[in-house]
Amino acid sequence: MPAEPLLSVRGLSVGFHGAIAVDAVDLDVMPGEILGLTGDSGAGKSTLGLALLGLTRPPGKLLGGHVTLEGEDLLALPEDELRKRRGSRIGLIVQNPRGALSPLHTVGGQIGGVLRAHLPLGRKGAWQRAVELLRGLGLNDPARRAEAYPHEISGGMAQRVLIAMALGAGPRLLVADEPTSGLDVTIQAQFLDELARAARAAQSAVLLMTQDLGIIANYCDRVAVMQQGRVLAPMSVRDFFAAPPDEYSRTLLSLRREAPPAPPAQETPLLVAKDLSKRFTLRGSGKVLQAVDRVELTLHRGETLGLVGESGSGKTTVGRCLLRLVEPSGGSIEFEGQDLVTLKPAELRRLRKRVQIVFQDPFDALDPRWTAAEILGEALEKRDPARIAELLALVDLPATTAAQHPRSLSAGAQQRLSIARAIAAEPMLIVLDEPTSALTPLARVGIVRLLRRLQEKLGTAYLFISHDLNTVEQLSHRVAVMYLGQIVEQGSRVQIFEAPRHPYARALLAAHLAPDPARRRIDRAPEAALAGEIPSPVDLPRGCYLAGRCPQAQEACRTTPQRLIALPDGRALRCAPEAARAMNTEPTLIAGGVLT
Amino acid sequence: MTGFVARRLATALLQLVGLALVVFFAIRLLPADPVARLVGQNASREAYLASQHALGLDRPVLTQFGAYLGALPGASGLLQGDFGTSWVTGEPVAKEIGRALPVTLELITISFVLAFILSVPLGMLCALKPGGAADNATFGYSLFAGSQPEFWWGLLFIYFFFAIMGWAPAPLGRLDPLSTAPPAVTGLITIDSLLAGNMAAFSDGLHHLMLPVLTKVFVLSGPIVKMVRQNMVRVLGSDYVLFARASGLPPGRIARMALKNALAPALTLLGVLYGYILGGAVLIETVFSLPGIGSYAVRSVLAFDYPAIQAVVLVIAAVSLFVYLALDIVHALLDPRLAS
Amino acid sequence: MSGAALSVETAPRTARQARDPLFLLGSAIVVLSLVLMVIGPWIAPYDVGRPTDDIAVPPPDLAEVPGLLYAVITGAPHEPIHWFGTDTAGLDVFSRVIAAPRTDVAIALGANLASLVLGSLLGLLAGTARPWLGALEMRLSDLVQAFPVFITGMILVTLAGRSFTTIVLTLALLYTPIYVRLTRAEVLTQRHRGFVDAARALGKGEAFLALRHVLPNALAPALIQASVTVGFAILMTAGLSFVGAGVRPPAPEWGLMIAAGADQIIQGEWWTSVFPGLAISLTVFGYACFGNGLERRHAR
Repeated sequence: MPAEPLLSVRGLSVGFHGAIAVDAVDLDVMPGEILGLTGDSGAGKSTLGLALLGLTRPPGKLLGGHVTLEGEDLLALPEDELRKRRGSRIGLIVQNPRGALSPLHTVGGQIGGVLRAHLPLGRKGAWQRAVELLRGLGLNDPARRAEAYPHEISGGMAQRVLIAMALGAGPRLLVADEPTSGLDVTIQAQFLDELARAARAAQSAVLLMTQDLGIIANYCDRVAVMQQGRVLAPMSVRDFFAAPPDEYSRTLLSLRREAPPAPPAQETPLLVAKDLSKRFTLRGSGKVLQAVDRVELTLHRGETLGLVGESGSGKTTVGRCLLRLVEPSGGSIEFEGQDLVTLKPAELRRLRKRVQIVFQDPFDALDPRWTAAEILGEALEKRDPARIAELLALVDLPATTAAQHPRSLSAGAQQRLSIARAIAAEPMLIVLDEPTSALTPLARVGIVRLLRRLQEKLGTAYLFISHDLNTVEQLSHRVAVMYLGQIVEQGSRVQIFEAPRHPYARALLAAHLAPDPARRRIDRAPEAALAGEIPSPVDLPRGCYLAGRCPQAQEACRTTPQRLIALPDGRALRCAPEAARAMNTEPTLIAGGVLT
Repeated sequence: MTGFVARRLATALLQLVGLALVVFFAIRLLPADPVARLVGQNASREAYLASQHALGLDRPVLTQFGAYLGALPGASGLLQGDFGTSWVTGEPVAKEIGRALPVTLELITISFVLAFILSVPLGMLCALKPGGAADNATFGYSLFAGSQPEFWWGLLFIYFFFAIMGWAPAPLGRLDPLSTAPPAVTGLITIDSLLAGNMAAFSDGLHHLMLPVLTKVFVLSGPIVKMVRQNMVRVLGSDYVLFARASGLPPGRIARMALKNALAPALTLLGVLYGYILGGAVLIETVFSLPGIGSYAVRSVLAFDYPAIQAVVLVIAAVSLFVYLALDIVHALLDPRLAS
Repeated sequence: MSGAALSVETAPRTARQARDPLFLLGSAIVVLSLVLMVIGPWIAPYDVGRPTDDIAVPPPDLAEVPGLLYAVITGAPHEPIHWFGTDTAGLDVFSRVIAAPRTDVAIALGANLASLVLGSLLGLLAGTARPWLGALEMRLSDLVQAFPVFITGMILVTLAGRSFTTIVLTLALLYTPIYVRLTRAEVLTQRHRGFVDAARALGKGEAFLALRHVLPNALAPALIQASVTVGFAILMTAGLSFVGAGVRPPAPEWGLMIAAGADQIIQGEWWTSVFPGLAISLTVFGYACFGNGLERRHAR
């Protein structure tokens, strides 16, 4: 590594009305490297990222320090000179890509605007260059995309537009602040691949700021941790994951390779859903959206079934159907011997408490006008202070929480309160709908541990719905993968995570970024990814829903709808060719399902 | 876009039909006796009945409605664009409104444009440093101006600028009694006098507009400043402005982008506001004795002149809906999210 | 837990909003207007309906005010004082200005209370009942809102007979759609909140959800709007009587008093119009500040 850093930060501080958000930060970025910067929400990463460009969100103020890029102290430059450096020498990509684009201007115009600010280009030339940049980033039909307004493109595409704007003028350093938050797993991986490739092609270094240690492990050369405004000394990624240097990273990585507590040895079916379907009729067009398509699910007492899939796969709707918060359009849900779908309202109300739900956004799930005690009291037959105290203790909340309103609790504490409300009804099953997705990484670890402990203690079964494969792996005994409203593969955790069979499940797991630098995605050739985009759920293909994107699709796949086929090793698979292959090579599979 | 406009036009038309219906029946349901008002309390029974017959009020309500619509044979009505004749003056209502409406439109359009021109920079000034002294002062002003009795301010201005300073003309109409009005072409004094080359009438017309416009601009500036400020604060705090700065765009280009984003949504609100002050022009016209649609409405209402009342409501609602629609279409042209 | 999370962005804002001088001013004016609405006519120094012998007397010079105040407080003998002067009929302007809230504020408050209750219940219905019913309600609201407010108010009040009650009912009718709209929009958001589904999962009935969870959380915008609309209702009440379509003279009412003084103002007798107008100006401004402060507090 060359001795001369590309970017050298010394003593950089940013304050908000007296509170210090970035505290005397020192940091070096070497030419051409990808340096990861991680840390919990609120550690000051985004503020630092902006400060490197001499910017703050109001009412923030740069309190001092030096940002030396290629030997030139940016913060000492006059404003107009500094402006010329932004975008041409140091580029920024932010989270919430669609919010970062003006809604009233075309994306091509916005890319062109940045190009014209830095390069000697006319309006027309800039537009052509913008189209070229979009083409280089793998967008098909870039000329038409350039005409689009931000609300007409997907989040992943908007993120690529930001890359085009940030890299268009060829800066030597790219600052990327949580560039993939909100993107689906497969799109995230594709995007990061493209980002790394584009940066490499432009010989730019990247400062990649993310909470996701999976991204750090798979893409970064070195990593630094930021905590409460301070940045700890960077170290190589391999060293970092081998021996996390600080409490924060150790806590986050503590769940690695730690299997969830074993389920009860005897499998007793608790809930069996058959042919569960949900169709929505769209207003206006009158088209029918098939959100859930003949889903078959079995949950056993005391076990966790992970339900994974990308946005729009229908996993959340399945969870809501199980409680009839959404009325299923068809199928049956047998629970403790009764069919929930045909139950009369009064009986349903009584039985409902046996199945509870925890939502993604904990603040949204708690009535802001009620205190914690009132919220828990709603779930109890009578409001018993002793029982409320017991419940709070069970989820590790202090007894004083009882008198507090949700607003005064942290997101993690709110989610604990939500969980306490769910277990207050003494359910047999809790539907956990992305319960960790809105939390900071640190709070997430706490919730995962809490859920494990509660299951051990109370024997409650979980349906754990999430797009976050790491958390699913940490909690689930069995896993079901959904695509466009259907379950495409179901099996044990090991089967799905170690050897997925369905082409979609394979693509999904290949895009999974594990916090483990042993098999870095950046170092291996990308596996055969799925082509094209997810079909619209109002206009589904006749045969296999994946046929249009599947590298192994045969002619029959396009015309024959696929059934869920049970394999001898306990999996279920919605792919006839792959199932046939599995049957033929059956001898290589051991009863437990681990591929030898 | 065509579909968007067609849909909006259809809705507006439907609303006008509903409005016509409701006005017609509502005023007949209320316990008022227009005949008694016209013939006087002491009139004989015969005179009363004769008058009732002359006005057509002795017919069943549905027949009256048919006549109003112009659905009865031999007589024209709403469907033929005929608002009927005034019970008080005997003149066609359409003609009277044709004289009154331009006076009001001239006053409020000028006030509206001036208020907008003055308020936009003020609102933007606030947004540049939210919470700063300038922002707090301007914000307090906008709250104050937006909650004022304009008829009282009109009187105060008359007291100060006419009675004390003598700068303004007497608040007695649109033109000085001694100056000759230009021949009515558009009905707008300013434009008609220019068309006729009558510069004396032009300047006299402007002079008479001075105080009413001042009053209107003052009360209008409140809501407009508040709205511009709110939109501008939102835009300046947005991620796209931050990102534009991070991309090194020149300040001028960022300002243009921010302005477009801040003013586009303001258009719809301006449309609502225009309709609101058109309906509220009664007060300012009363204070300055302007012969506009507001004064006409007061006269008609107090005289129980039903054909005039029905027409006034319909015309004001129609103009308001038209302005609202026009601004909404401009908004949709600027913001592609709306038309889709 | 994540105690490390710095709430840098919210902390200063709360500190700044805690002292909102406009909100304090607004609250004081609102309270004063309510107090005067109740006791105004009782504490008025002169009978609001009986002329005094002093015709068109101007208010005392500013320089005399301290002396007069001293005389009033100590009970020293003094001439009859007309703080705001008297009008051409000899009525004491000060007494009438402080007695008027019994009309202006009471009408505004009554109309808003009626439309708030009716509007929020209809809004709850529109947001939770069958879609066609909600759609019907919204079309009706659209229709009412397409009417020019002031002129429609003038027509309804005049044709129904100019009185306190008809003004209250007219304003209530005109304002109800505002509350229907606000409440419905908020109900539509609130009913999809997680806590409603969570309570549903606990076996609570739909009526319980609507009344205990949805409505209390959906009321805030309507309540904030109400504090602003009360101010506008005062403007409208005074405006109606100003053009002769409101309460009948000689009731002590701000708009009537301004109208009565309008002709004199040109001759320099400014006080009969200026003081009641000042009362409207400050009162409505107070309600606007109050509403604005509530809105900021709620947004926090």
